[in-house]
Amino acid sequence: MATEKGKQDAGKSPKKSTEKASGGAGGGGKSDGNSGGSGPHYPGDNIRLGAVGQSLFTKAAGIGAVALVLAAVLGSMENDGFRRFSLSYVTAFTWLLALGLGALFWVTLQNLVNAHWSIVLRRIGEVLAASAPLLAILALPVVVPIFMGNSSIYAWSNTHQVEASHLLHHKAPYLNPTFFLIRFVVYFGVWTLLSRYFLKNSLAQDASKDGSGLMAKMRTAAGPGMIAWGLTMTFAAFDLLMSLDSTWFSTMFGVYFLASCVLSINSFLPLAAMWLQKRGVLTKSVTTEHYHDLGKMMFAFTVFWAYIAFSQFMLLWYANIPEETAWFKARFVGGWGGGWGLISAILLFGHFVIPFFGLLSRHIKRRRPTLAFWAIWQLVMIYIDMYWLVMPNADPAGPPFSLIDLACLVGVLGVFIAGAAMRAKNLNLMPTNDPRLPKSLAFENL
Amino acid sequence: MSDDHKPKAASTAPELHGILAEYDTPDQLLNAARKVRGAGFEKWDTYSPFPVHGIDDAMGIKMTVLPWITLCAGLTGLGSAILMQWWMNAHDYPWLISGKPLWSIPANVPIMFELTVLFSAITTLVGMLMLNGLPHPSHPLDLVKRFARVTDDKFFLMIQASDSKFDEKDTRDLIDATHPVAVESVMEDRVTAENFPPALVYGLIVVTCGALVPVALAVKARHSKSDKPRIHLIQDMDAQPKYKAQRENSIFADGRADREALPGTVPVGHLNEDDHFFRGRAQGGWARTFPAQVDLSEETMARGKERFGIYCTPCHGQSGAGDGMVHKRAEALAQGGWIQPSNMTQEYVRNQPVGELFNTISNGVRNMPAYAAQIPPEDRWAIIMYVRALQRSQAGTLDDVPESERGSVK
Repeated sequence: MATEKGKQDAGKSPKKSTEKASGGAGGGGKSDGNSGGSGPHYPGDNIRLGAVGQSLFTKAAGIGAVALVLAAVLGSMENDGFRRFSLSYVTAFTWLLALGLGALFWVTLQNLVNAHWSIVLRRIGEVLAASAPLLAILALPVVVPIFMGNSSIYAWSNTHQVEASHLLHHKAPYLNPTFFLIRFVVYFGVWTLLSRYFLKNSLAQDASKDGSGLMAKMRTAAGPGMIAWGLTMTFAAFDLLMSLDSTWFSTMFGVYFLASCVLSINSFLPLAAMWLQKRGVLTKSVTTEHYHDLGKMMFAFTVFWAYIAFSQFMLLWYANIPEETAWFKARFVGGWGGGWGLISAILLFGHFVIPFFGLLSRHIKRRRPTLAFWAIWQLVMIYIDMYWLVMPNADPAGPPFSLIDLACLVGVLGVFIAGAAMRAKNLNLMPTNDPRLPKSLAFENL
Repeated sequence: MSDDHKPKAASTAPELHGILAEYDTPDQLLNAARKVRGAGFEKWDTYSPFPVHGIDDAMGIKMTVLPWITLCAGLTGLGSAILMQWWMNAHDYPWLISGKPLWSIPANVPIMFELTVLFSAITTLVGMLMLNGLPHPSHPLDLVKRFARVTDDKFFLMIQASDSKFDEKDTRDLIDATHPVAVESVMEDRVTAENFPPALVYGLIVVTCGALVPVALAVKARHSKSDKPRIHLIQDMDAQPKYKAQRENSIFADGRADREALPGTVPVGHLNEDDHFFRGRAQGGWARTFPAQVDLSEETMARGKERFGIYCTPCHGQSGAGDGMVHKRAEALAQGGWIQPSNMTQEYVRNQPVGELFNTISNGVRNMPAYAAQIPPEDRWAIIMYVRALQRSQAGTLDDVPESERGSVK
């Protein structure tokens, strides 16, 4: 029956396909009946969070604050100058930073490539990305000790340790508190400006008569924005994570963190959309097709993470230079069965092999419960990845699990969600006036 | 096929292939497809200038098995890569390179990745073509004039006459009910003995025979001997009017292309007259003393230690016992094919004249390569000085210890 499929494709003419695409908004979709041209661009759908947002804010802020206080109290009981707490906090914070930066990347990318399919999800991304100033505040427990020169985890911030170490002395022109302060301001400055820019213009688009002008404006900003994002993300990853072990270096580390950023947001977005839909928001606008696409991105960046992680490992493994391999050796302590080696094995199988086969099928990506399962799975794996990057500094023998880890994670996530809920509660959760919205609503995977 | 005999074929065998309906819009096509599907037909298809959204549902096309084929091919590629690399590197031709394990997964992952992708991609392409029955050089629809517009702006649907539900009148009524712009009977385009053009037959015979000629020549060449040089198809700059090293040259009486220096001349910087310094020879044998050019000082000793550390320790070890890192790693792998470097403090090496040691470093011995190209002569002598010190340290007697320290050694 399908014997002539090839011919159909061969005969495709560009002129007709555009004509078809615009016609498809009304014709091809299953949820027919939405008005293609005039009037409101979206079907009768609830796009406001309202009171639900307020209650989410109260709950998340409460839980977050309690968890952070608990973490600090538990941390002070360790009597190690808050070293254990700081490491837990850095783990949780970088996990959250990956999500926040991922959201900013995602929004910038959709604007940059003029994506049509993602318009219905764009506002959620913009709201999450706009957490940049909140992230800057959440970074303070990591950053303030560095400024004060008494960080218990960053050896390079401590004058005495720098004096005692030839290597740290050598790296001091880059790794010093003053320059770090400058970089810190630049990072969060860029992220705040960029995310505010997108949210502000996108909201202005809702109110404007014709959205195409602001659409073009945002697309123009996305190019330089993406370059700025890439540079700041890379150096932030160097500063916050790689410099924990200031003897080690990998030029690939920025891309490694990027993989986590993009995977985070593509795992978090479907969860956020499902949560909203359960509360009657965006129920008609976000369809299986959008979830399917987010699932594809999850799958792609699961593979991308493995590709980058292995590339980084193999280059160091092959060159076999002690100063480079020591970092990996510390993460293989205990072999496959225990210690850090077990965590490495969990990352290999849990972060790549198992989800690779898990996310391979289109049916899994199109079914919400299964997609949610893998989204949560990958978010957990990203946390384990951060733990694997940070925690060997706490205990070289093996993972030192502690309630502080969980308290820090719940704390920062609670604050993040509270911030997002507060921002979202009085906004349209969909760009109602974007010229591409009809296409996004009628979007179908072939 | 030439046009002139198509009418002939049609007049002799007017066999119906199917009924073709033409539509103006994709929506009409979708509606028609739903109706035809509802009537229970199996052998029918739709044709459009571009992929029409929803046509799969309307036609009831099932999900393709292609993804499963691709998955199997990918796993086959992965397995092939593992097996191939294991067989080549660890089994059939194990060859130890700088102490790396013969069989280690990380080194093999890039090939595993590549072959997984390669097998998947090629299988997907070939599988797609096969599942679609492509390539399909001719089709009865090729003869329908109006069908040409399927590549431009028209949409078609055809029900084949070979379908079990097909009935010329009923089917036409069904198609008429879908409001097509035009309906046309498509005639079979069977190739029979009568309508096959004779010119094409002869042409094919000639082409086939011609195609066999290169094969025949290759077979002949492989099974006969010839003293002529091989045919050199791509010349690049392989053959040049010049003589290469170690080649014959009929111009000279001795037939050698390499010319020796003229008698009584030496290239600049190549005099190397001093046999003792440059070759370690003196009085017709190996020199037993250091040449006069070598300054027997602490400085030279330090230089010798440094050079020894760079060039010798990887194999011979810090103490010269033949237990360097390369040896240790090769030994730890226990994969055979490795011979331990010499212990240079053992007696027979201790008894060798310095000139012989110099020769060993310069020209190599047994498995040890020559180092003349890497280490200048003065450094070779400095290394020998250090080696002598190492040998002395391993063969010391109590007499070597200063009187005042002897008590602590005992």
